[in-house]
Amino acid sequence: MATLAPPEQKTPTERVRRKGVTEQQRPLWLLTPGGALMTVVIVLPLILALWISMIDLDQYTLRRWVEAPFIGLDNYVESFSSGLLNSIWISVSFAVISTIATVPIGIAAALVTQNKYRGRGLVRAVFLIPYVLPSFVVASVWRTMLQPDGIVNAWLAKVGIDGGLWLSGPTSYWTLILVEIWAAWPFIYLMSLAALQSVDHEVHEASAVDGAPWWPKLRRVILPYLRGPVLLACLLATLNHINNFTLPFVLFGAPAPEDVNVMPMIVYVTSFQSLRFGLSAAMAVLSLVLIAIPLFIYLRAVRLDVHEEGGRK
Amino acid sequence: MSTTSASAEATRLLPRWMLFVLTAVLVALVLVPVLYIVLASLNSDVGVASGEFWPSSWSLDSYSRIWTTADLSTGILNSLIVCAFTAVASAVLGTTTAYVLVRYTFFGRLTILRGLVGLQSIPGTLMLLPVFVLFSSAGNYLGVTVIGTRWGLFIAYLTFALPFSTWVMVTYLRGLPRELEEAARTDGASTLVILWRIIFPLSLPAIVVSGIFAFLLGWNDVLFASVLTRPETHTAAVALQIVGSSQEGGALPVYSQIMAASLICAAPVVLLYLAFQRYLVGGLTAGGVK
Repeated sequence: MATLAPPEQKTPTERVRRKGVTEQQRPLWLLTPGGALMTVVIVLPLILALWISMIDLDQYTLRRWVEAPFIGLDNYVESFSSGLLNSIWISVSFAVISTIATVPIGIAAALVTQNKYRGRGLVRAVFLIPYVLPSFVVASVWRTMLQPDGIVNAWLAKVGIDGGLWLSGPTSYWTLILVEIWAAWPFIYLMSLAALQSVDHEVHEASAVDGAPWWPKLRRVILPYLRGPVLLACLLATLNHINNFTLPFVLFGAPAPEDVNVMPMIVYVTSFQSLRFGLSAAMAVLSLVLIAIPLFIYLRAVRLDVHEEGGRK
Repeated sequence: MSTTSASAEATRLLPRWMLFVLTAVLVALVLVPVLYIVLASLNSDVGVASGEFWPSSWSLDSYSRIWTTADLSTGILNSLIVCAFTAVASAVLGTTTAYVLVRYTFFGRLTILRGLVGLQSIPGTLMLLPVFVLFSSAGNYLGVTVIGTRWGLFIAYLTFALPFSTWVMVTYLRGLPRELEEAARTDGASTLVILWRIIFPLSLPAIVVSGIFAFLLGWNDVLFASVLTRPETHTAAVALQIVGSSQEGGALPVYSQIMAASLICAAPVVLLYLAFQRYLVGGLTAGGVK
């Protein structure tokens, strides 16, 4: 969070452009509590993370971390030989697959609740359930259902399929994706629904007059309206998938099986189980760099300041 | 289908049969696991462990036994205390911060707005270690115990909730006419009076939304709670996670109790959503985060 410059630094052009704003007595002091919190709990720790990533910090040096030996980029070099690249690949592929899979489900859900019918309110409420449930609850529940003798395997056995182990081995990767999809599709649904509702009624009527059948109408007329908002939602959803710690942590426990060792997990385990704090910080900083790419695109795409573009309301 | 007027027909995007099939599939996708949770919580531990869907013996045992199996009451109490304070503080701070950001211009304003959106995507795992080191340094160097107390958790949650709370308020306050404030200011009202008498009452729906999201952020967190708490200050999420992970390695299975605990932990969240559904959905799409 940026520190606030004194009020004198305002340029005259700014003053002219924003006439509605009171010039005197700007109560900038109201920003101090939030600013102080941000500084202490976000800015300082971020700087500290950079520092820790360059020192040799473990359980012995933790108490007096200020005196821990400085080792430059060694932790970063070691990250790459400690399986970080593998974790990045797991995280990114998991996030992208989850996002892609949730898009058709979310759009379909938005399409079926677009029109009024008796009971629609109830259906909409049901669609929000996976989203509303806390991640740790979702993970606990699926963990129970996917036990070797659990309900999922019992049902699969009835149709003659051997479910096998869901929570360990290579299958765990797909388990993570499936549960994430179950929990995350309502987000795409909400964003698509908001976009659908902004489609003008004239558009619907015009295409209805044309007598277009449903699929061309949907593809050519309606879906283009969804493209922008859904792409934005996808970007955000991907970020959320990459950052998701709770789901793999509660679903598989720590340390996680090799196949679901996503970035948040490897960072957590390296810190709080292997107690290699310096190494873990280096990994965390590297993962931030990775996240910065989609985040930057998102920040460019989202409209920050309606006032400056749309004028005073 | 009650409305079959021409205009409703025009906005119908899918053939009727497809609407029906898709709705049924999606509702089943959600409700079958949910139904299972409820049934399993009414089952016996052994019944759940052997993969029953319909309980062979129904009982409410799990709901009474889980309180001794896990330290759930302490967890829920701690969660409620920390999250309630986080919600109130975050909503109030978010409103005052947003007010300044919307009504005044100053150097760095756009940077702050950008930061509000960007900070929501900072990975918690990156912040956890340095926050932990910083909090334990407060103990070592300043003699203030932060780790293991509810205060530490409260400060962490408040800070991580603040960007979103502020962003929700920014989008809301933008749409608020400023005539009332201007009139009050001409009458000599100070900023604090204006905030208290005009802004707070007028933006109550948005304040509720930003408070609830702050509450949920704390309630749903496992990462910070698992490191920053002691057993006495465990949150509900940590209590549930500990029972869940203790199921491996031949321990007596308590799956039915875990299902009951899951429902108990989900209850406050679901109630909040049901009560404020209309506001919350708007807030979700505006801020774009969970």
